Amino acid sequence: MTATQEPGVRQQPSSSAATGVTMTLIQAVTEAIRGELASDERVVVFGEDVGARGGVFLATAGLQAEFGSKRVFDTPLSEAAIVGAAVGMAVRGLRPIAEIQFADYIGPGFDQLASQAAKLRYRSGGQFTCPLVIRTPSGGGVKGGHHHSQSPEAYYCHTPGLKVVMPSTPYDAAGLLRAASRGDDPVMFFEPKRLYRAAKGEVPTEDYVVELGKAAIRQEGSDISLIGYGGVMPDVLKAAEALAGEGVSAEVIDLRSLVPWDRDTVLTSVAKTGRAVLVSESPRIGNFMGEVASVVQEEVFDSLLAPVIQVAGFDTPYPYVQDRIYLPGPTRIVRAAVKALTY
Amino acid sequence: MLEAFPAEPYRLLAEDGTLMAGASVTQSPAQLRELWQDMTVVREFDRKLITLLRQGRTTFYAQASGMEATQIGIARGIRAGHDWIWGYYRDHGIALGIGVPIEELVAQMLGANTDPNRGRQMPHHPGSRSRRFVSSSSSIANQVPPAAGMAMAQRYLGTDEVTICTFGDGATSEGDWHAGVNMAAVNDAPCLFICENNQWAISTAVHHQTRSESIHIKARAYGIPGYYVDGNDVLAVQQAVSTLTDQMRAGGGPVLLECLTYRVGSHSNADADAEKTYRSRDEVKSWTGRDPIVRLERFMASQGLEIGAEERAAEVTRIHSLIDSAVQKAEESGQPDWRIMFEDVYGDLPVHLRWQYDHLRAEQLAGQEGTR
Repeated sequence: MTATQEPGVRQQPSSSAATGVTMTLIQAVTEAIRGELASDERVVVFGEDVGARGGVFLATAGLQAEFGSKRVFDTPLSEAAIVGAAVGMAVRGLRPIAEIQFADYIGPGFDQLASQAAKLRYRSGGQFTCPLVIRTPSGGGVKGGHHHSQSPEAYYCHTPGLKVVMPSTPYDAAGLLRAASRGDDPVMFFEPKRLYRAAKGEVPTEDYVVELGKAAIRQEGSDISLIGYGGVMPDVLKAAEALAGEGVSAEVIDLRSLVPWDRDTVLTSVAKTGRAVLVSESPRIGNFMGEVASVVQEEVFDSLLAPVIQVAGFDTPYPYVQDRIYLPGPTRIVRAAVKALTY
Repeated sequence: MLEAFPAEPYRLLAEDGTLMAGASVTQSPAQLRELWQDMTVVREFDRKLITLLRQGRTTFYAQASGMEATQIGIARGIRAGHDWIWGYYRDHGIALGIGVPIEELVAQMLGANTDPNRGRQMPHHPGSRSRRFVSSSSSIANQVPPAAGMAMAQRYLGTDEVTICTFGDGATSEGDWHAGVNMAAVNDAPCLFICENNQWAISTAVHHQTRSESIHIKARAYGIPGYYVDGNDVLAVQQAVSTLTDQMRAGGGPVLLECLTYRVGSHSNADADAEKTYRSRDEVKSWTGRDPIVRLERFMASQGLEIGAEERAAEVTRIHSLIDSAVQKAEESGQPDWRIMFEDVYGDLPVHLRWQYDHLRAEQLAGQEGTR
């Protein structure tokens, strides 16, 4: 493992250009899985349609041909079986990377995640562990309606024992996935599907990991902290650009992983700027940013110059027609920032 | 001879303990005595732990009395410590039978410091890495898909291990059960699914659980063989488990085995009034009359291996003494320190848990009473 991303260090896509290749987020996912399969025989990849087809989004395209159907295989159409089998394999010493076709469909596997994967280490006093990765496309922006667009990560953040990750760049997707696969805990790896092909960037050709629990500062600034993760990040950056046009210096933070999450980077930033806008696309009630807001006000209350403001999805099922209104785009983010700046 | 999908449960011993026509028994006298001892340990474990419960020294108990032949037959039919077990919460008989020490089981049931599971679960949820008995879950049937996955891993790794997955009749109504059996079936995974059909899921009778004529018949839907044994005949259960696991070691895929037995006691201390609310005294009496330990004793007597009253009393005294000693050690070890509450959530302590730990530690150091 080399080139571990340092906490809070500004990450520029071009920083690794010397030995990098430009690829999309989903290509980075594929390359990371390929690398794990090649370097560790304990790694197996499975899920619905991941074999010959390569997954409905083609995240595993070509891997069965390259590694064989013993390593990369299709399963029955059963999330409970996929997640549960991953648990059993992990306990026996494999390193399963399982795909759930859409995050919206994990429901039947939820009990396996909450009662088995998340609890086995704890309930056995550390006698048994579950090192597995559940990869799943998540989030909206693809005209998928509510069963193909939800952002259910908060359910899993509320389950001690699971780690929860959501990258927004190809670099992070590959680095975080490698770290997840090599770790000793069960990881929910949410992939923002609208960025699968929209997000492009330089990815180093050498092996590297991005440590879970470290945020990335996408842009340094002094007037306000804009904090997000996953599919909203391009819009957060656009909002920061718009604010810059108005003379506002915004610091942009990408959490990258939610459990664990990088309190230090967030608190340092908010203590510096005095203002925070928290952006996510999941429904507002009980979403992860509620926890970020709570910690910010508890820890750096004296530094705050304005209330912490959330920009989130609405507490409706994810709509089909109003897709773009539902998602927190740059306009809503800028409006929230102005509210904080003029408080 | 063990056949798939039989009309009647397979047995070697008739209910009166006589050998069935054409049956032969391969166990030596010493092995028969071990089976009897193991079953007696399970029976007496129930008795002693219920006493502890009544004394307020533990908080929950789910007895296996009446099911000793099924659980000991399974334990003695596998390669203990080599094969892996995903059991359910009533499987202390299997745990005892494969050599999980009484002291470990008692420590788990008392939430003691010496519990290898570190007091994390309510009583009656054992787990032992050294014996490959995976810590049990309370959620019904959710051990079934992991068992399928473990068997897939065993096939992947090329071992000659098998996975044993046990559950009650109620579990076969859960989605996880069907998902797990199907997953193992399509992958030819060496998993022995065993239904300990004790005929009651708390207060729901098996005929309210399923319209299937039996549990083992469900195997047909998954394209695997279903076997049916008399779960009160320890010799039949042991032979069936041994035969089926040998088949799987030789490359066979999963099978479903139904052991027809009966839970003589209540589901747990929470429904100790079972005979007043959901089942008849006559039914319980009928099954008490089919006691699996008595059946084996009668067979042993017919082979000149009679267990005399004195010997039985001495054995019971020996077992009680072992349990008493285990209880004493567990109670003397105290309960796990509050600090371990934060351990084993993840491989290491993440920053948010460190923060919560530090806050609680500060409170504890400040002398505040607990956290309530």
